[in-house]
Amino acid sequence: MHDRPPFIRASLLAATCLAFAGSPATAQDGGSDFDISTQIGPAPVLPDPAQSLLPSMKVAEVIGWQNGQTPTVPEGLTITAYASDFANPRTVHTLPNGDVLVVQSRGPSGEPQNRPKDFIRGWIMAMAHGGGGEQKPSNIVTLLRDTNRDGKVDERHDLLTGLNSPFGIAWADDTLYVAATDAILSYPYKLGQTEITAEPKVLTPLPGGPIDHHWTKDLALSPDGKYLYASVGSNSNIVENGLEAEKGRAAIWQVDRQTGASRVFASGLRNPNGLTFNPESGELYAVVNERDELGPNLVPDYMTSVKEGAFYGWPWSYYGQHVDPRVHPPRPDMVEKAIPPDYALSSHVAALGLTFSYGSALPDRYAHGAFIGEHGSWNRSFFNGYRVVYVPFENGKPTGKAQDVVTGFLDGDEAHGRPVGVGIDGTGALLVADDAGNTVWRIAAANGDVTPRPIGTDGQRLPGTSAQQGSAPTGGNNAGAAEEPRGAPAGSNNGGAATPGVVTPGGGQGTTGGQQPRGDAEAPAASTDEQLTGEAPAAPATGDTQEPSQTEIAPATLPQGAGETGATAPNGPQ
Amino acid sequence: MEAETEHYWRGEPARPIANFLIPFPAVCFTLALLTDLAYWQTANLMWQNFSAWLLFVGEVVGGLALVVGIVELLTRKSLRATGPGWGYVILGAIILIVAFFNSLIHAGDGWTGVVPWGLALSAVTFVLVVVAAIVGRATTRRHPAGAHHHA
Repeated sequence: MHDRPPFIRASLLAATCLAFAGSPATAQDGGSDFDISTQIGPAPVLPDPAQSLLPSMKVAEVIGWQNGQTPTVPEGLTITAYASDFANPRTVHTLPNGDVLVVQSRGPSGEPQNRPKDFIRGWIMAMAHGGGGEQKPSNIVTLLRDTNRDGKVDERHDLLTGLNSPFGIAWADDTLYVAATDAILSYPYKLGQTEITAEPKVLTPLPGGPIDHHWTKDLALSPDGKYLYASVGSNSNIVENGLEAEKGRAAIWQVDRQTGASRVFASGLRNPNGLTFNPESGELYAVVNERDELGPNLVPDYMTSVKEGAFYGWPWSYYGQHVDPRVHPPRPDMVEKAIPPDYALSSHVAALGLTFSYGSALPDRYAHGAFIGEHGSWNRSFFNGYRVVYVPFENGKPTGKAQDVVTGFLDGDEAHGRPVGVGIDGTGALLVADDAGNTVWRIAAANGDVTPRPIGTDGQRLPGTSAQQGSAPTGGNNAGAAEEPRGAPAGSNNGGAATPGVVTPGGGQGTTGGQQPRGDAEAPAASTDEQLTGEAPAAPATGDTQEPSQTEIAPATLPQGAGETGATAPNGPQ
Repeated sequence: MEAETEHYWRGEPARPIANFLIPFPAVCFTLALLTDLAYWQTANLMWQNFSAWLLFVGEVVGGLALVVGIVELLTRKSLRATGPGWGYVILGAIILIVAFFNSLIHAGDGWTGVVPWGLALSAVTFVLVVVAAIVGRATTRRHPAGAHHHA
């Protein structure tokens, strides 16, 4: 649950809260001499799973930032508060004209509590919260405008309010796409507008509640502008809500921007976020939060290029084909399909934000790589994450060790803030959304460099500012201009997805067992209505038929005009 | 009526209050073994949740029974003479400790929250409950109240 944002204000040491257990079996990772830096890079060291009676827990109490306090950055960079006074800012998105959209969001409530564990954990968390008080309204998209490009915000407008736990943002063709937790909404929006009054359309529903465990749905626009990619996190840590709850989850969806037709593009990604295209290679990238409660050093969260139709293991296996014994029944056929991700970020760091630095105005050593916001751990006895790191890329692939860029979020056992989304602003500086500190930080080159023209988060530039003008420090002309299709992983062989309403499960090869009862196989008991009508169910398929993973099943798209999902109340009370 | 009550209080040792509580953990832990077996056979999450709640309720009421039982043993001489005594209390404490560890195992996510160690501890708890019942019966020297005052 390190990736479950409701914890942000929590502070607890479950080890002490649950000390009544008094058990020597209480697991600790302190004292172990495991070198966590061996889990950063393309080939992490994976210890054996260690399921302990009490998962080690340590969450920092959030104390916020006092006036003038900032996180720390290495030499050559400066950090300032770009804007503050937010309520849980989680993502930053730069529009092609340089305006920055900040998504403030809180998770949905109402997840059913099934076990004593859920109640006890809720009670401990409530204690750690220290008794609520009035919460500032969140679930708002705010526009920040820096008119004179001096790195300071000159205008601030709340563009959308009362959304249903929004996270991802994309903009194309005078349309603003907002990924609420249960749908992608589209608003007519021309660049420069400071308010949106039009009602949204539902482009496509996404798996929302009532169980909505990993609720953050991120968005990216394909370089050719044809598709949106939406991340849909799993509905549990490790299918403890049942496989049925995981339909279309732990996956990245490809959504046709015109029709809303959607399909699963890649699956087995437990909680993917930070969707963004690598401007150099044209590949879709994501950071993924891996599973908890297998010990302090499992499973490393990771960054990976997302390959079409690929399966990355969740829930049956992790990091390629390491089987997770907690999932029953086992699926060796799915484990066999699982491929390892590209680059491990260390365990439980809770990576939630990703942006590439190409075309930014940051110093040269940050010119070719990716920034990653690590929200920070809970499932280990010392902190991990709580920082923004930089991973250098070479030839379109991550190489070398991640370097700390923004640190100082922690102060002993307390946290001033926690980084989530990252992005490059209209002047080429790095922005970091700090949800616990309610601030957006701006990290710029100390020498005051700015880019000549704004570049949108999805690589778009305003018409008339051609790529050649981008004399940015590096690779300015690689930043994926919208009109230039490249690589196009969302390529032309997706006939099915381009057809309205047609949903094709990605990756799954065979079909399910069909309707024919098999003579000799053990037939399961018929349900009551089946007995009444004399229709016995088919025996489960045995052996030779492959079933697609539940996570590859994307719910169908609503037809045009019927696009009202009851749960989506963009302007409803929140 | 008054005389009868007086007779009751004077002549018959009142049933220990703990006796009203002890059936809860005994039944809960027994059912938890059955629901664990059901989960093992079906992998239906409902049974896992059932087990977790049965263990939880068994521990809460069992813990209460233990505390009440200890207080009663300390304060009522007659109980020490007639009841199963401290051995029974210690057995009860062991059952609760085993059940508590079982709860921690059941709090794990997924299949390994039950199979194999949760199921094994449920079986151990059940055996201990049966042993406690036998010990309790064998060492109780005479029936406490209850049946007598109807005669």
